[in-house]
This record gives sequence, C-alpha cells and structure tokens, in this order.
Amino acid sequence: MPPAILVVEDDVMTRALVSDELRAHGFKVLEASSGADAITVLDSLRVDLLFVDIYLPGARNGLDVARHVQACGMPTRVILTSGREVASVADLEDLGLFIRKPYLISRVIDLISHNLNWPNAPKT
Amino acid sequence: MSPASPNLTLQSDIPLQTVLVVEDDVLVRLVIADYLRECGYRVYEAVNADEAVAVLQSPEVSVDVVFSDVRMPGDMDGFGLAHWIRAHKPGVQVVLTSGVQRSAEIAATLCEAGPMLEKPYPPQDVVDRIRELVAKARRS
Repeated sequence: MPPAILVVEDDVMTRALVSDELRAHGFKVLEASSGADAITVLDSLRVDLLFVDIYLPGARNGLDVARHVQACGMPTRVILTSGREVASVADLEDLGLFIRKPYLISRVIDLISHNLNWPNAPKT
Repeated sequence: MSPASPNLTLQSDIPLQTVLVVEDDVLVRLVIADYLRECGYRVYEAVNADEAVAVLQSPEVSVDVVFSDVRMPGDMDGFGLAHWIRAHKPGVQVVLTSGVQRSAEIAATLCEAGPMLEKPYPPQDVVDRIRELVAKARRS
C-alpha cells in the first residue's frame, strides 16, 4: 500500500498541481484546504506524511496542525512550507522539515520520497 | 476508505475524463474523489465555488464534468456555480447534489444545472450519471 500524504494548502491550483504530481509518483494523496479540515482528516484516516502550508485561513494554521500531530503522538511525518517570512526556521525543527516557497515540485517529491524511504521502503 | 468497490467492468470504455468535485465536507469529498479516481477519472477537488471557478479558469486544467454540492459556504452556492458554468464554460457538464430535499427538488427542475443526485448517494450512481452526461454531450 503506498504511503498516504495529506497536502494542506489553501491555494487550490498549487494544491492540485502538487497533489497530481505526488499521485503520478504513486503516492495516495489526501487534500485539505484549511487547518480545521486537515485535523479532521488526521483524526479520521491514516496519514504517513503531512505536507502543510504554515499560513492557512481560519482559526488553525499549519503550525497548529503540526502541533496536533505531535500532541496526539501520531506516527505522521511533517514537512512545513511557506512563502512568507517565518520567525525562525530553527524553531520549526521540532515540528518537522521545512521547504521554502516557491519550490520546485520535483524538490518536494524528492524530499517526501526520501523522508518516507519510498518506493524503496522494505515491505512489512 | 471507499464505501464500495467501484464497478470496474465498464472501465475500459471510459476515456480519461476530468471531473471537478466541489464539496466543503472534507471527508465526503475525499471519499467520492477517491472512488472516481479508482474508476479511472482524473479528479480535481475544490472546497467551494470560488475554488471551483479558479480551477475552471486555469489554463492548465480542462474539466469535462463538475460534480458539486448545492449548499456551500461563500458567496456562491452550487446553483450559482452551475449558472456561472453555463455562462462561461458551456461545454462543461454539471451534476448537482444536495442532502436537503427541497434543494434537490428545485435543482431537479433546473435543466441548465444538469441531473441531480440526492444525498446520500451511492458512489456508483455518480459514475453512472457522469457517463450519461458525457455520452449525451458527445451525441449533441
């Protein structure tokens, strides 16, 4: 079974293009446009990796979503992204990896594949 | 995750069509989008009508069928989206769905809004409806 990636991004075309590319590489991709929707998905389904924009509309931003993963002890890896200045990338290290926007989609694919060691992960 | 195994027996006669699913309930959207992908469709997901319009206006995407909930947050609901599509993207087919009986009845009378599916819908009914619409569009 391919790893499940949750892509959380409020820009619909960015979300669609990243998700499409991940699907083309064999990943199962779930999409959410807000922090609240992301948490709903995380609480309902198995997610192997969360790829989340830090700045999202609504009450819960990307950092809140990453902290939810951490607080619940979910075995979900986290990659954060943002095009805006973040206080300190070093401060994000406790939550997960960080890739700055604009990014090459191929770079995101490489990062996710490497992080999950997939498709080369040993079968269990 | 899928509520039922898709009917794959007719998959070979489906050319790759692109479906835009517009639904604000993330879990409902994920289930139907997944099912449609398993049936061989290319699927884009939008959470509301504004996102749907952005996808439809994107030069990078060509949508054949829009499957949209009637009730959505934002300035435009599913009816408004169906009218927008008729005015700006007349070649795109529309299927509306609603869990509210009254909305379903109104939508069913809107020829321009296309056939209506009442929630909860069996996923295979969505596929059947999309096939009907695409076949009808090809004949006309």
